[in-house]
Amino acid sequence: MTRAWVARRLLLGAAQSAAVLVLVFVLTEALPGDAAVALAGDSPDPGRIALIRAAMDLDRPPVERFLDRLDALLHGDLGRSLVTGRPVSGYLADGFGVTLLLAVLTLALLVPLSLWLGLTAARREGSGLDRVISSATLAVYAAPEFALGVLLSTVLALRLGWLPPTAVGGVAADPTVLVLPVLVLLARPVCSISRLVRAGMIEALARPYVAQARRYGVPEWRVVWLHALPNALAPAAQQLARTCDWLLSGVVVVEALFVLPGLGSVLLDAVAARDVPVVQGLALVFALLTVVLNLGADLVARRFAPRTELAR
Amino acid sequence: MTGRGRYALGAALVAVPLLLALFGPLFAGGAGPRAVSFSGGAGHWLGTDFTGRDVWRQVLLGGRSVVLVAVAATALAYTAALPLGLAAALTRHGWLEELLMRPLDVLLAVPSLILVLLVAAALEPGPVGVTVLVALVAVPDAARVVHAAAVEIAARPAVEALRMHRESWARIAFGYTARELRRTLAADAGTRLVGALYLVSTAAFLGVGVAPDAADWAVMVDRNRPGLDLRPWAVVVPAALIAGLAIGANLLFDAALQGRRGKGVER
Repeated sequence: MTRAWVARRLLLGAAQSAAVLVLVFVLTEALPGDAAVALAGDSPDPGRIALIRAAMDLDRPPVERFLDRLDALLHGDLGRSLVTGRPVSGYLADGFGVTLLLAVLTLALLVPLSLWLGLTAARREGSGLDRVISSATLAVYAAPEFALGVLLSTVLALRLGWLPPTAVGGVAADPTVLVLPVLVLLARPVCSISRLVRAGMIEALARPYVAQARRYGVPEWRVVWLHALPNALAPAAQQLARTCDWLLSGVVVVEALFVLPGLGSVLLDAVAARDVPVVQGLALVFALLTVVLNLGADLVARRFAPRTELAR
Repeated sequence: MTGRGRYALGAALVAVPLLLALFGPLFAGGAGPRAVSFSGGAGHWLGTDFTGRDVWRQVLLGGRSVVLVAVAATALAYTAALPLGLAAALTRHGWLEELLMRPLDVLLAVPSLILVLLVAAALEPGPVGVTVLVALVAVPDAARVVHAAAVEIAARPAVEALRMHRESWARIAFGYTARELRRTLAADAGTRLVGALYLVSTAAFLGVGVAPDAADWAVMVDRNRPGLDLRPWAVVVPAALIAGLAIGANLLFDAALQGRRGKGVER
């Protein structure tokens, strides 16, 4: 792992974080036109406009406001809701538990499931099983979560009655409410990662070092798991981080679909109420998380396969 | 499944939603009187929706917006990404290339749906706004693909010869490089279109860029959910059409890509 490369990658991560901060601010507050009037929306009542203007300091120049906001952010202050006046960090704390549970469950199943699917397909390349796996993963990969989720819950919950259709009763009362959401969240990432694992393994298994190891009589499981797999994993590790983008949008959709009170639901409610500080806070958290995960994945991928020329 | 099998399956899956989306509005007819919400019978063979409108008529009308916005966004993304990628690939100044391409790496960091929701909170975009947003999200990836492919072509002796003939930049860029790129672009445009379909329908499902009672498949899925156990077709039919469109398009583009690569190893 060359030091120059790591430094460049860290610099890119820092630039991305800075861009996220600027973008979130510019898109919501510094666009041409009067933000307060736009935010008052369908009820342009002068009292409400004045209230929004005061709450968001809209009379001051944007650059000054941005620097102030940045300063507050560094002290852990994300601002207050326009609707209720509660601190944004309170909203984050409300939804955090449910979303974390969803994410942990999904990731815990995602990694073994996609490794197993990819390895199974790669070791029987060209067989009927491989074709079925490849076609199915290619197909499901493209389907939007909401369509998939609605179809699955119609069949599994309403027709067959196997699972509860929504999580209205609460997760604590009945943990089976999480089955459908996690299933829908898994669908797309499993497809993309297992396809990458398959492609990487096919390439790695065709390399001379694998043939050499086999000639030496190294057991097949060692060849597959200890020699070929690490080389096949670099692209998959990067895709895993990139799927976090999908998981984030998936979480928003799945929480709306199955009525789960997580960060996605908080975000959608704030968007509907045009509660800009809450939307900003959540967008910042989601985007910075994506930046950090991508950075981590690139570093890990570099560790697994140092010779591979990485895309960035 | 062989490449040909995938072609057939993809084409079959795409055909129904695409034909409905393009020609459905011609057969929709006038709006009948409103009936009771989520009721059946009396000429409503798929039942009525949450406001008592005929579901079949809504299905006929609801595909056009999804398909048009996704196609327009993909086209718009390329009108920006093509000149950008070509300019970065054909320049002989390293700093200019960095200046054009590096900011895109930075933009890639923002999760796409979060960006859409962020803008929705502040601006309430209409269909045009959503088109621009979805295009914007696709530009960095598209420009990188154009750039990567064009760099290879720019190193060819033919380009050097064109330069020595003092041909104009536009002639070298669009007359030669872009023509040589057309196959890469066609394949990449497929990926972009599937991505745009995903983002457009998901945004509409979440209520971004559409009226709450719009005739749009994704909106139908969202708004008719309360009647799911009474009239499942009002939700299942539009959901299946969107899924079929996205899945079919992906299978079709992949089969086309495989066919072009010959019998090489699948990705």
